[in-house]
Amino acid sequence: MAEFLNKPVGRRAFVGGALATGVLAALAGCGQKGGTDTAAGSASAGGSASGGTLRYYINNPVCIEPFNLQEDQGTQVGFQLFDSLTQYNFEEGKLECLACESYDVNDDATEFTFHLKAAKFHDGTDVKAANWKYGWERIVNPNTNTESPSVIGYHLAMIEGYDALAAGEAEEMTGITCPDDSTLVVKLSYSYADFPYVASHPALAPIPDCAKEMSQTEFGLAPVGNGPFKMDGEWVDGQYINIVRFDDYYGDKAILDGVNFMIQKDVETAYKEFQAGNLDVSDVPVASLATAAEEYGTSEDGYTITPGHQFLNGTEPSTYYLTCNVVDGPFTDINLRHAVSMAINRQAICDTLFHGSRTPADNIVPPGIDGYEEGAWEFSKYDVDAAKAILDEYYPADADGNRGLELTITSNQDGGHKEVMDSIISDLAAVGITCVADTPDWATVLDRYQKLDYQFGRLGWVADYPIMDNFLYPLFYTGNGDNRAGYSNTAVDEALMAARSTVDDAERKAALQEVNKTIGQDMPVIPLMFYTHTAVGGANVATLYLDPQKKADLSKAQLVEA
Amino acid sequence: MGKYILKRVLQFIPVFIGVTIILFAMKAIVPGDPISMITGGRSVPEQTRLQLEVENNMIYGNEKGQPIYDENGETIPVPIWEQYARYMDDLFHGDLGTSYSKKRPVTDIFAEKYPYTIQLAACAICLEAIMGIGAGLISAVKRYSFWDIMVTLVTSVLVAVPAFWLGMILQLIFGIWIKDLTGGAFSMPISGAGGPNSPYQDWMHYILPAFTLAAVSTAYTARIMRSQLLDVLNQDYIRTAKAKGLSRRSIIIHHALKNALIPVVTYIGIDFGAMMAGAILTETVFNWPGVGSEIYRAISSRDWPLVMGGVTIIIVVVMVINLLVDISYAFLDPRIRLGSKSEK
Repeated sequence: MAEFLNKPVGRRAFVGGALATGVLAALAGCGQKGGTDTAAGSASAGGSASGGTLRYYINNPVCIEPFNLQEDQGTQVGFQLFDSLTQYNFEEGKLECLACESYDVNDDATEFTFHLKAAKFHDGTDVKAANWKYGWERIVNPNTNTESPSVIGYHLAMIEGYDALAAGEAEEMTGITCPDDSTLVVKLSYSYADFPYVASHPALAPIPDCAKEMSQTEFGLAPVGNGPFKMDGEWVDGQYINIVRFDDYYGDKAILDGVNFMIQKDVETAYKEFQAGNLDVSDVPVASLATAAEEYGTSEDGYTITPGHQFLNGTEPSTYYLTCNVVDGPFTDINLRHAVSMAINRQAICDTLFHGSRTPADNIVPPGIDGYEEGAWEFSKYDVDAAKAILDEYYPADADGNRGLELTITSNQDGGHKEVMDSIISDLAAVGITCVADTPDWATVLDRYQKLDYQFGRLGWVADYPIMDNFLYPLFYTGNGDNRAGYSNTAVDEALMAARSTVDDAERKAALQEVNKTIGQDMPVIPLMFYTHTAVGGANVATLYLDPQKKADLSKAQLVEA
Repeated sequence: MGKYILKRVLQFIPVFIGVTIILFAMKAIVPGDPISMITGGRSVPEQTRLQLEVENNMIYGNEKGQPIYDENGETIPVPIWEQYARYMDDLFHGDLGTSYSKKRPVTDIFAEKYPYTIQLAACAICLEAIMGIGAGLISAVKRYSFWDIMVTLVTSVLVAVPAFWLGMILQLIFGIWIKDLTGGAFSMPISGAGGPNSPYQDWMHYILPAFTLAAVSTAYTARIMRSQLLDVLNQDYIRTAKAKGLSRRSIIIHHALKNALIPVVTYIGIDFGAMMAGAILTETVFNWPGVGSEIYRAISSRDWPLVMGGVTIIIVVVMVINLLVDISYAFLDPRIRLGSKSEK
């Protein structure tokens, strides 16, 4: 054998060898197709058990402590480590107290008194009202971190003394006071009845005294909070974050022993790890959505993972929309906005480009937000005939079918947006509107939107707090930074401010619904789609609930008994 | 020799300044508002915006980070040349700025990442040297044999296969298929560098990424080794050695191999320099927490300070390694030293 191998190879032997290799390669190509049928998918479903460590996919977060808790990956971790005063119960559609026993509000919704529960931080110290005051002021005070100030202080812009603290002219916010260790009083500079919803934001949490002796980086890598889980070691950037159950938690203790947040660079790698059985919860890449739903079974309510019903597709409180420049250019014409909206086949975009992982938007406020009304925006639907009728009236076509409309849609083309824009352009062509895409990079797009140097473009809006106000006020109140359409309607402004100062929940909701309909008639933006969950859990997850904002309720999560 | 090295080191300075000017100009001409990138596109209160502009050297501010206003109450923009001067000043003080997306000093981030890149590069270089030189040696010694053809075939395939594809196939085979076939008894980690919750031994995480990173270079090393050795074996002094009656083994080991290795070692050295710059594709596919994947992430999120800091560090590393290679040439080849003398 060795002799043969060391001899020069003749032509016949070479051809024979090459053929044999080819046949082997072909056989290898015929290997098992369902090779990705994995341990995660085949684990037997048994009774649920306490304890165990859940392996959870996240992308590398920006920040996991309240100082800059903004994007969803960091929020997922921060939400487990810190408790806010309140939390929104999506299943029952109401706001509940979390770290406070109760709260009172005065008649004009300018003063809120929160009565705090007795609780401990992970370092064993008591959570006092002063810790809440410090935690909130910390994200507004520019001196907390002069190198990289927090960008989320705006949450508290309605509190008295905000401007002075944010400008570095004061050391504290006069609007936050602590009459005793268990009472926090918040005075606002204007009426805002939805403030308790703002207080549910995971970034508005208490910060322990030990943070004052630590550097921003030290605390950022191993934050000490008041939530059901505490850090187990430091966050290892780009690799993992481990948290374990906090046994002195004031509420119901977590069932899991801990959670291992495995940091993966993208959803494709994470899903591969999930298929290999190395992850218990992962996101699903768009291309694999259909097979994941089939393979792992769709969740019964869209939000809860149980064995056999492991793929989540519940709607999120986020809207993908087209923003129209209503100050200058063709979209100052309300009729054009109506016609363009009705010419777009939203269902086709959701089905073909997103494999059903998004749903057509029928107004700016998504389902899951208290006050959502189906079809609230009359013109946010697909009706080609109606679109053509409007266009025929205001932009009649000449003999060549030319309506004299040449539109430019400005958008970044990465992240799958180009395909959406292409689809819109072809829908508009079908009703006789010529539209071209202008695709600068994202920073330029934002710059141009801000300067109203565009005709129409696309944006997404993810709610900070699950309330109607958080969709209507930032996007449509005159002069607001996120009002990229330049929309201004005095009646809407007045109605919004009136609704904000209405203390009664039902009345406020009804008022905001009316405002929403008025805006829907004006249509400064064209809602396209609502986002949905695209997560999947292994068969070893007995139960895990991800609320519509994607925050996982890990304290109630359970693993299947091995 | 000393003068040659000094000259090369001095050449280093204008190249470095030129590169930083190009980098800085790129950042300056790229359109868009950096503050929007920092805030993730959301509007922030004017005060926060101004603080961020001060922090990013766009407008003048006081030591508290608050903006300074002129007599008209307007903020005062920092001129571009001063922005560059500040950037260079920071650079010489070891300050590469603060990452937009991570809100942490760029130097801290790369200090954490570099050990992983160095470890992966070292593993890959070891694989490359052992497998590449070994395969080339066998291939040359047993010319036209079955082994020679196998080496030629395998190296042709490895040169042609893109690293990201090879990496993904290895993940699929060793991470998923083999795990299924053995009922979970054996598999290789698909990604990452271990960690306390990894079911694998730490060293196992290096195998697939190191193999992927080394694949193409191993193939080249084997080919260079083969051709160099064959070349040397045809030299007159080898024939003389044969005539002296030395054994074939002795000729190859003591006379041919040393000379044939010189270009191979040079290639491996330069390759190591390239790997130290971070293997963006391999690190990205395997979610390796090194410099390459960090730069990939920074580019995707348009995190300019991180991109610029990363590129600056890489430039310095590559320039230093090139300098060392140049100096080693001067040691190996007297003609370079003489050349430098005659230029005077």
